[in-house]
Parts: sequence; C-alpha cells; structure tokens
Amino acid sequence: MGHKKIYVIGRVLAVKTVIKERIAEVKTKRDAGWKILILLSTLILIFILSFALGRYPVPPGQLLEVLASRVFPIEAHWNATVETVIFQVRLPRIFAAILVGAALSTAGAAYQGMFKNPLVSPDILGASAGAGFGAALAIYFSFSMLGIQMMAFVGGLLAVGLTYGISLRIRHDPMLALVLSGIMIGSLFSAAISCIKYIADPYDKLPAITFWLMGSLASITTRDVYMVLTPILFGCILLYLLRWRLNVLAMGEEEARVLGINTGVMKTIVIVCCTLMTAASVSISGMIGWVGLVIPHLARMIVGPNYRVLLPASILLGGGYLLLVDDLARLLASMEIPLGILTALIGVPFFLYLLLNSKWGWK
Amino acid sequence: MEMEFRNLSCGYGQRRVVDGISLKLKVGEVVGLLGANGCGKTTLIKTILGLLPVQGGEVLLDGKNIKNWTSAQIARVIGYIPQMHTPPFPFEVLDVVLMGRTAHIKPFSSPSPQDVKIAEQALDMLNISYLRDRVYTEISGGERQLVLIARALAQEPRILIMDEPTASLDFGNQIKVLSHVKQLAGMNIAVLMSCHFPEHAFIYSNRAVLLNEGKILHSGTPGETITAERLKTLYGVDVDIVSVKNRMNQELRVCIPSRNFALQPMQSMDRRKEYAFA
Repeated sequence: MGHKKIYVIGRVLAVKTVIKERIAEVKTKRDAGWKILILLSTLILIFILSFALGRYPVPPGQLLEVLASRVFPIEAHWNATVETVIFQVRLPRIFAAILVGAALSTAGAAYQGMFKNPLVSPDILGASAGAGFGAALAIYFSFSMLGIQMMAFVGGLLAVGLTYGISLRIRHDPMLALVLSGIMIGSLFSAAISCIKYIADPYDKLPAITFWLMGSLASITTRDVYMVLTPILFGCILLYLLRWRLNVLAMGEEEARVLGINTGVMKTIVIVCCTLMTAASVSISGMIGWVGLVIPHLARMIVGPNYRVLLPASILLGGGYLLLVDDLARLLASMEIPLGILTALIGVPFFLYLLLNSKWGWK
Repeated sequence: MEMEFRNLSCGYGQRRVVDGISLKLKVGEVVGLLGANGCGKTTLIKTILGLLPVQGGEVLLDGKNIKNWTSAQIARVIGYIPQMHTPPFPFEVLDVVLMGRTAHIKPFSSPSPQDVKIAEQALDMLNISYLRDRVYTEISGGERQLVLIARALAQEPRILIMDEPTASLDFGNQIKVLSHVKQLAGMNIAVLMSCHFPEHAFIYSNRAVLLNEGKILHSGTPGETITAERLKTLYGVDVDIVSVKNRMNQELRVCIPSRNFALQPMQSMDRRKEYAFA
C-alpha cells in the first residue's frame, strides 16, 4: 500500500514538474514576444509623433485627417502647405531615419556576432570611410545629388571589397586578418578624404564635404528612400533568414565549422549584407556613428543574444532611436544640428550609463 | 561505423607535425591519445575535423575518403568536444545544445520542436536537465563541459572527438566529466580522446595510442601500452606505474613520480653556494 502511495505521489510530482517546465518555456517565448511588441508600439508612437513635430506645427487631429484622406475620400479643408509638409518633407525623412537606424543596427548586431566581439561597429571593414571618400570626391567634382549618393554607395562597396580581398591573402587567423585589413583600408580612405578636403575650394566645396561627413537627413526626398529601400530590405531579410546560423557563428569560427557551417560562405554573405546596408545608409545620410555599436548592445540587454529576437529588436530599436535623434536635430536649435554629432553626444553618455549601471549583454 | 587513418600526415602550411600515422577506430571503443605538448595531438584532431587540410594519406569513414566532404556532411558523422571555453555572448544552455543540431537543419531554418526534444534528451542523458534555461556563461566550468558533451550528443554523431576535455577543470569536475565517456561508447559511438594524464587513459579508455614527435610510438590496450619506459620517452620524466585497489576492490593503475621531492633534504641553498664558489 505504502509503496503504491509513494508511487502515485511521485507520478503527480513528476507531472507537475513537467507542466512547470512547459509553462516556463512558453513564458520565456511569450516574454520575448511581449518585448518585441512593446518595442514595435514605441516605434509607432515615435513615428506618429514625428509627423506633428517641427518648425511648421501640425495639430494631431489635423494630422490624422490628412493621413486618413490618403485612404478615405475626405474633403480637403486644410491648407495645401500642410499636405506638402507632411508628405513631401516629413514622410520621406521619417522613413529614411527609420531605415538608416534599422540598417546600421542590424549590420552592427550581425558583425558583433561574426567577429565574436561586442565592440565592433558596421564600419569595421571600412564601409563608411569608403562611402565618405566617394561622396567627397563627387562633391569635389560638383556631381549632382544623385551622383554623390551613387559615388558614396560605390565607394563603400569598393572599400569593403578591398578589405575582403586583402584579408584572403593574409595567412593568419581569418577573422583577425579581416579586422586588420579593415582598419588599414579605413585609415587609407580617411586619409584620402582629408586629402580631398585639403585641396577643395574652402568657400564652397570644403563646407559641403564637411557637412556631408557630419551626417544629416535634412535634404531627404522620396526618391532617396526608394533608392535605399532595396539594399536595406535585402540585407535585413537575408540576415533574418540566417538567424540560427548567426547564433552558431557567434560561438567562434572553428566551432561553427565543426558544427557543420560553411563559414567561408556564411562570412561572405554576412559581409555582403552588412556592406549593402551600411553603404546604402551612408549614401543618403552621411556618416552617422554610434548607432550600429550602441543599439545592438541595448537590444541584447533587453531580449538576449539569440538572433531570432535580437535582429527584430535591433531593427525596431535602431529605427526608433535614430528617428528620435533626428527629431531632436530638427527641433533643438533654430538651425539643424548635424545628425552625426547628436548620435555621438547622446550615444556615448548613454552607452557609458549602460556599462556602469546594468548587466552587460556579454562577458 | 569505422574510422580509419591511412598513412595520414598533417601540419600547418609547410610545417609537417604529424607524419604518416595509421589507425582504426571502431564504434563502441574509447581510444585515449597520449603525448607531450606539441607532439601533434591537436593538429591531428583538427585535420580529422576538416579544420586543416590533409597533407598526405587519407581519412576514411566506412572506407570512404572524406577529403571532399562539406562541413555539414562531416558534422553529421563526427562530433567534437572542445576544451572549456567562454563565448562572449550569454546564450541559454538549451540554445547552446541546440547548436549541435545545426548540421541537420536547413540553411534558412531554425531548430524545430523535434530538435528541441533531441536537445532535451541529450541534457537528460547527462543528468543536467536543470541547466536547461540557465545562461551558459554563468554556470560552472564543469557544467559547461557537460553542456558541450550534450551538444555533441544532440549532433547524433557516430564518432566523437575530445581534445583534452578536462583541461582547466578542477579535480572533481574532471572525474564527473570523464565518468560520462564510457557511457558515450555504450551508445554506439567511437570516442577518440586526447588526454593529458596517463591515468585518464587507464581508467576511461579501451585502447591507448602514444604519439611521439608526430609518429605513433605504440598502441594497444592501456595496460600493456603505457609503461614507465614509454612515458619516459614521451614526456622525458621518470615515473613508476603502480597497481592499487579502490574501496570497491577494483584494480586501478596510477602513475607517480619516481622521486618524492618532499622527502629530499633542502639542497637549494648549498647548491647556490657551490655555484658561487665554482
């Protein structure tokens, strides 16, 4: 009798533990889902807020009416300027801020895993320096806006291509070879930028180059947004599809290979994705630092290192953060503040605060 | 499943570290690989795993040369347990074990519920299910090594390669980790384990292979292979091998140094004086 009782109690306890485990599992999954949902709603909130904010104030009611008029047949009883401000000026700028922020954060998150180093940013392989060089050269030769953007994009691809090509010829730890040649190519292009600035006309071209390099979304048009949409979406989607493999790659190259990943192909795909996204971003926004370094950290602190949730979190956080900073750039002073300055001014203290006050997302 | 090295040579670039060794591994046996630092153990292991190109000879799995196999093909047959390490990102233990399933998962997919079940079974087999939702970087070194074994089990390999799996573990954790090695062999897996203590080969392996300067010095049962003379050749030190009985009345062989330095008079000061006069 006694044995049977104990047996029954044992069974009940075992079943209870199993149920508890299942609940815990569902809970962690749901937690991550909730976090993503909160991040998404925050982004949407900032998105709507950004329409109303600006030199030309648009009351929220009117804003909703104008937005709705695009879908529903509502009689236009507002000033035509309102529509121009919302759709020609603010809409493309808002989308550009979200796209650039998301692209830089996603590229940063992917690189940090691949290089097994949480201090890596999207310009580690020279993409930004190359894009800056392309843009400076285009400004020097008085190219059109489209020409400047194209040159910046091509410059970014060229720099990373050179870095990658050189790293293959270095007989050493392949990751170290990549970082080293990235730093060297980056310095080389930075020197080339300085050289162009030195010989540029100091009253006309030099300020243009300098302002471009500081980064800004002030002159964004709808065409720019369409132009960068493809490379950025391509990069984000492909990286998200490879999310599990990114996890394994973050354990180190040798281990990833032993676990069955063709690390050579995988590395190339990651580099292509990140470079397309970074070069596209820099080509319309100029150099914007710190987003690609800080945001993946923040995302990792919130949702953990698994790329299944880390990538969506980086996209939402990065987009929201840059949109917010761009709003500040528009509003803080009577003159536009270059975006690159603000991201550093806000990003660095914020990063330090995180480092000093919370559990790190890495060891 | 049978693994065979035929006249296998390995090394880095021009430098040849392992020179023409031949060896066979069968499912169900544990082979202990012994040798001094730099004798080529790790080089041999890296070559078998496909991390280094084969420099000569061949690695055969069931008679098939694996030279042109992809890393996924190799990973479906050969599992690897590295030395204890700390990755920079705080993955959950279950995720780390699930990484063992990578070779069975399509490029754009994530682990399925079926994969999760296999990973949970692997954790269960090593009695570490309680670690499932813990953070890999926050558990102890011994637990981390057991998680790596679970990861290799989730890979469902036929051959398991361990590179000094207990290096940098404390005394208790060494025994805990090694006690699972025999269990692995019982699961129809061939185990090749490089050891840094001859005792480990005595207690946990069926066969010992002594690697000396890139060549096999001797291989056979641990008892007849590991002798005081061969250890002298391998490591350049004088040791005695003695048989002792544990409390279960089981016979064990241990290696002890031939000199007990604690019992010798302190000579160092006198020596220094001698040198000073010389």
